[in-house]
Amino acid sequence: MLIDETRCTGCRACQVACKQWNDLPAETTRNRGTYTNPPALSANTWSLIEFKEIETRGQIGFYFLRRACMHCEHPACASACLVGALHKTAEGPVLYDDHKCIGCRYCMIACPFGIPTFDWNKGLLDQPLIRKCVFCADRVQNGLTPACAKACPSRVILFGGRDELIAEGEARIRQSPGRYVNRIYGKAEAGGTSVLYLSSIPFEQLGLPRLDSAPVTVLSEWVMRYTLPFAAAWGAALTGLALLVRWRNRGKPKRPSSKEAA
Amino acid sequence: MAGLGPTFGRGAMTNDWIDLKNSDVIFVFGANPASNHPASFSWITVARAHGAKLVVVDPAYTRSAAVADVYAPIRPGTNIAFLGGLINYALQNQLYPSEYLKAYTNALTLINPAYQGPAELDGLFAGFNAETKAYAGATWQYQIEKIQVKVKDAAGNAITKEVSVPKQAAALDEPNTVFSILKRHYARYTPALVERVCGTPQEKFLEVARTFCATGAPDQSGTILYAMGQTQHTVGTQNVRAMAILQLILGNIGIPGGGVNALRGESNVQGSTDMALLFGDLPGYLGAPTDRHADLQTYAAKFDATSYWVNGPRFVVNLLKAWYGDAAKKENNYAYDYLPKTSGNYSWIPLFQAMRAGKIKGLFCMGMNPAVSGPNARMERLALANLDWLVVMDLFETETASFWKAPGVDPQTIQTEVFALPALDAMEKEGSIVTSGRRIQWRPRVAAGPGDAKSDIWILNRLANALKAVYAHSTDPKDRPILDLNWVYGDDPDPDVWLVAREINGYALDDVKDATGKVLLEKGALLPAFATIASAANFDAIACGNWLYAGYFAPADDGRGIWRPAARRRGQKDPGDLGLFPYWGYTWPANRHILYNRASARPDGAPWSENKKLIWWDAATKKWTGYDVPDFVATKAPDAKADPAGAGLATQAGTDAFIMKADGKGWLFAPTGLADGPLPEHYEPLESPVQNALSGCQCNPVVKVWNTDKDKAIGDHIGVCEQYPVICTTFRLGEHWQAGAMSRTLPWLAEIQPELFVLLGPDLARARGIANGDQVKVRSARGEIQAVAMISARLKALIVDGKPVHLVRIPWHWGWQGLATGACVNDLSPHVGDGNTMIPEYKAFLVDVRKA
Amino acid sequence: MRKLTRRQFLQVSAAVSSSLLLPGAVQASDGEKLALHKKIGETATICPYCSCGCGLVIATDEKGHVVNVEGDPENPINRGALCPKAISVRQLSNSPLRLAKVMYRAPGATQWEAKSWEWALEQIARRAQETRDASFVRTVKVGDKDVPVNRTEGVAFIGGAANNNEDCYLATKLMRALGLVYVEHQARL
Repeated sequence: MLIDETRCTGCRACQVACKQWNDLPAETTRNRGTYTNPPALSANTWSLIEFKEIETRGQIGFYFLRRACMHCEHPACASACLVGALHKTAEGPVLYDDHKCIGCRYCMIACPFGIPTFDWNKGLLDQPLIRKCVFCADRVQNGLTPACAKACPSRVILFGGRDELIAEGEARIRQSPGRYVNRIYGKAEAGGTSVLYLSSIPFEQLGLPRLDSAPVTVLSEWVMRYTLPFAAAWGAALTGLALLVRWRNRGKPKRPSSKEAA
Repeated sequence: MAGLGPTFGRGAMTNDWIDLKNSDVIFVFGANPASNHPASFSWITVARAHGAKLVVVDPAYTRSAAVADVYAPIRPGTNIAFLGGLINYALQNQLYPSEYLKAYTNALTLINPAYQGPAELDGLFAGFNAETKAYAGATWQYQIEKIQVKVKDAAGNAITKEVSVPKQAAALDEPNTVFSILKRHYARYTPALVERVCGTPQEKFLEVARTFCATGAPDQSGTILYAMGQTQHTVGTQNVRAMAILQLILGNIGIPGGGVNALRGESNVQGSTDMALLFGDLPGYLGAPTDRHADLQTYAAKFDATSYWVNGPRFVVNLLKAWYGDAAKKENNYAYDYLPKTSGNYSWIPLFQAMRAGKIKGLFCMGMNPAVSGPNARMERLALANLDWLVVMDLFETETASFWKAPGVDPQTIQTEVFALPALDAMEKEGSIVTSGRRIQWRPRVAAGPGDAKSDIWILNRLANALKAVYAHSTDPKDRPILDLNWVYGDDPDPDVWLVAREINGYALDDVKDATGKVLLEKGALLPAFATIASAANFDAIACGNWLYAGYFAPADDGRGIWRPAARRRGQKDPGDLGLFPYWGYTWPANRHILYNRASARPDGAPWSENKKLIWWDAATKKWTGYDVPDFVATKAPDAKADPAGAGLATQAGTDAFIMKADGKGWLFAPTGLADGPLPEHYEPLESPVQNALSGCQCNPVVKVWNTDKDKAIGDHIGVCEQYPVICTTFRLGEHWQAGAMSRTLPWLAEIQPELFVLLGPDLARARGIANGDQVKVRSARGEIQAVAMISARLKALIVDGKPVHLVRIPWHWGWQGLATGACVNDLSPHVGDGNTMIPEYKAFLVDVRKA
Repeated sequence: MRKLTRRQFLQVSAAVSSSLLLPGAVQASDGEKLALHKKIGETATICPYCSCGCGLVIATDEKGHVVNVEGDPENPINRGALCPKAISVRQLSNSPLRLAKVMYRAPGATQWEAKSWEWALEQIARRAQETRDASFVRTVKVGDKDVPVNRTEGVAFIGGAANNNEDCYLATKLMRALGLVYVEHQARL
């Protein structure tokens, strides 16, 4: 999948199309002084547009980073998974298996892009699971494009074979060198990803992490050695944090009504 | 789109969505298609991939601006100053194709030498009456030449008749030509003035001017996309006129990738307008009769005799046959007296003023939510409380249906009876809608509706029958229009929408014959096109509810030999690869996709350039041919001479590309049709923080202000900048729609845009001590609302006449019903409208903002 | 005034998307082709929001409830693409907030009452008759001539701009037959 950020207008068709196809419910959100909503990827939000206003030399720029699973060529999440619940398929999607997942959240730590999320709304005993974009694997295997790519009106998201997409991206850069940063993000990053980006501003400014070309799996394998002692503590910490946040949110005021405003 | 009609002849988008791909420069001005018409970006992206430039002029750096090649900021309410600057730039730098100008516009036409304009009269045009706030446009007229022609009278005897034809000059620069008046008028609109008035830095303005005016070249085309950013002003009609003039000057009308393209806000606003849900019209833009039209003959005489409108009187008869059936007879002037006649202006703002004054006692509201969408909505909600009864047909319990329990209202004090009738949504009923590009598409019923909900035609059908029942025993002549109303659509259990479509399309009540007795259409057959009406001898044997839609439901080939009702076609052929798709649905008029396409060819009939060719004259077959259906007489040669003795299009020559205009020309200068002047002139919005830098005439002089609450702190009046120094613009978001009933109720949309917010710039926020995410209050002379502050460098203060002017921008979709709730932003907007259309001034009014 | 609590909001959200159970994760199984977890749909229609006129393809369950919405790839205007509103149209048809009954609010009442169509239509026709008859103008003087105008200024009609052509046509026709001159709609705003 090639995402040409120079064409994106932040309409969020991709974000809602993901929810529609995957039957994901809406979250309760608030306006926090930004268009970005929900605030982050979650168990019910697998694809998210982050709105960014960046001023360079007095000129304002308005950018829309599409965040979702990168479907790495060598996925760190899969190599970090204790039970082999995650793996890369031949067509590109990195998929996971509910029946194997034990909710340990190592994949969350391992992912260099911070993509997998945990179903915090479920209690620990309800077998909470890891959730993320699955590249609409069922659509792809049936000869359809992923829901986000199909919905995109501005032709930002192009779906196809990785090699052809790299060739297309390079052709666009050649054709309009002034419009693009001279690089395809994901061609080399983290050992290569199935989701590729073109941009008019440096990718780091857009919000994509600076990574070298070594697969992050090397890192995650190193992490694995320290896993067991670390995991218990980390899991407890995250659970505690979640409980704390939930407890604190209880007293939060509701959104204002127009009665108060009138 | 009242500015387009006087200029080109029809008030509709000239081109189409897909046609955007053929453009070299796409100029978005007064619209935000990335948010509000996302499908358009599909074609804008294709054009850009081919090297086209995207130019965006907007007070805010919008989502459309985010991908623009050129962006320029502008102060809300100063569009004419900017467009006048562009017109001046094109004229001064001779970037116009003079051959186009001479042949297709009224540039060479001579105007009354007594004409004076704002350049001479400090902002006014000649003929202003300060007492009535109206113009007598006597000196705005064409110079007329009287010529003697030989015609035959009714008895067939040759007689001599005197006819008037407009005088033409030989060269553009002769005195009193439209061209020289235009040049003189806009000479004042220099880049320096644009900067002073609009707050647009000169170099930004010049970048826009250079980029867009380059499309004056014959092998280039530029399009202007606009929406409510142009129309929702007290000078809205003239804003649109200014764009239309610029496009005529650059030769961008009639060609692929050109045009003035109104991005309509709702799925069928073109269709609902075509069907005349506006006080001043009848279906097909026939114009509602007024008390000046005492009988059918007087009414028929209002149509131009020298344009295609020569057929107007026929279309009216077809309409009356459709409405009153057998009761519409030649002997009773086809029941013309049944039609209600207007005396004055009954548009939205006067309507609500009359309701507030207690004159309107009953209201039908079908799929609309004025409690949120109306100007000064707080006052309009008060007006609703003066009704005896209100009928709301809608999908949800809207703010209008529930106005009696609005926040802060005691229901017990409101005596209005309210009927809320549950309606089916677009997926749950069958019928057609028309895109902004005039393409009619049919929607089948694809889903089940809730409970007792019914389609609108079911409701209207039952209502009509109930009304016929309550009047059944009346012998009063005033009730004949109801009792004689031709209303047979079935009821088993639903009315048949195909029968309604048949009536709109038109059908033969008897064999329809031409003058030679040849049968054009057999009894009972559907009308294939409105041309049949024009050539019929017994045209009153046709019932047709809307002549513009003639053919939309008649069987037509889908390009694969499959015949089906034209609007239901799904053919994929695309001659010329221009994106016209003539076999998909049906585009009015007569499946012509690019209006005024005669102008896509040179006066001699050859295309202006190979890459912009659309239709051309084929000398061998003596016909116009090409990719689109000619918006012209298909057999009229480029060198055909006008016949002043003839009627209708015979009076127009082979280069008169604008067949709906009396002289066949695109009107740079409009001698008639506009209340506030023949040329657009910059005036300040009614509420403005600055003085008009161009003249002593502060705001549009013909605008009517009610100001019924002069003495109240908050009410129906106008604010001053000492109290309200910030310019407010209401706008729409991509995530919500209109008054919100169809979007704030949907969880996925409520999730991505949950709360009402106010967009304000960092400098204003600093000055008022407001932090991002704070609750703020915004107040105008009409009301006060509360919302979340969204501080953004996308909206900056502008330097106007040397002083900073602050702006805020508020999306207006919210109300107290639904999932995502918030204040009604239109509680702030003024109850004033455009000088011609009375469209409210939502885009530029004054407020103040403070931390809540 | 309806004020939804967070809990109600979640309930509405859940109701809307409960037409299908959440699919959970896709089974990762190489070699074996995954089945589509729901049908794409075959019935084409047109979006009700803006004026682009994008084609939609709708899938419904056996009750006629919408379970999938995507762009119509054959429609030349959008070629399968959509915006977030068009995609959310699935929740429009399924919304539990939709009006499902005729509701009546009496003068001064604080609540709605559910009514039948028959009752409501007859009452409305009577109200329209009374107001029309009381405000009907047959002629006005223009100069020294009595011109028949056959109108009422006591009743108004306002409409939306998303109704079908056929709806609008019948509304125009019926309202003018009643003698209404205050006939306006969203296009004015």
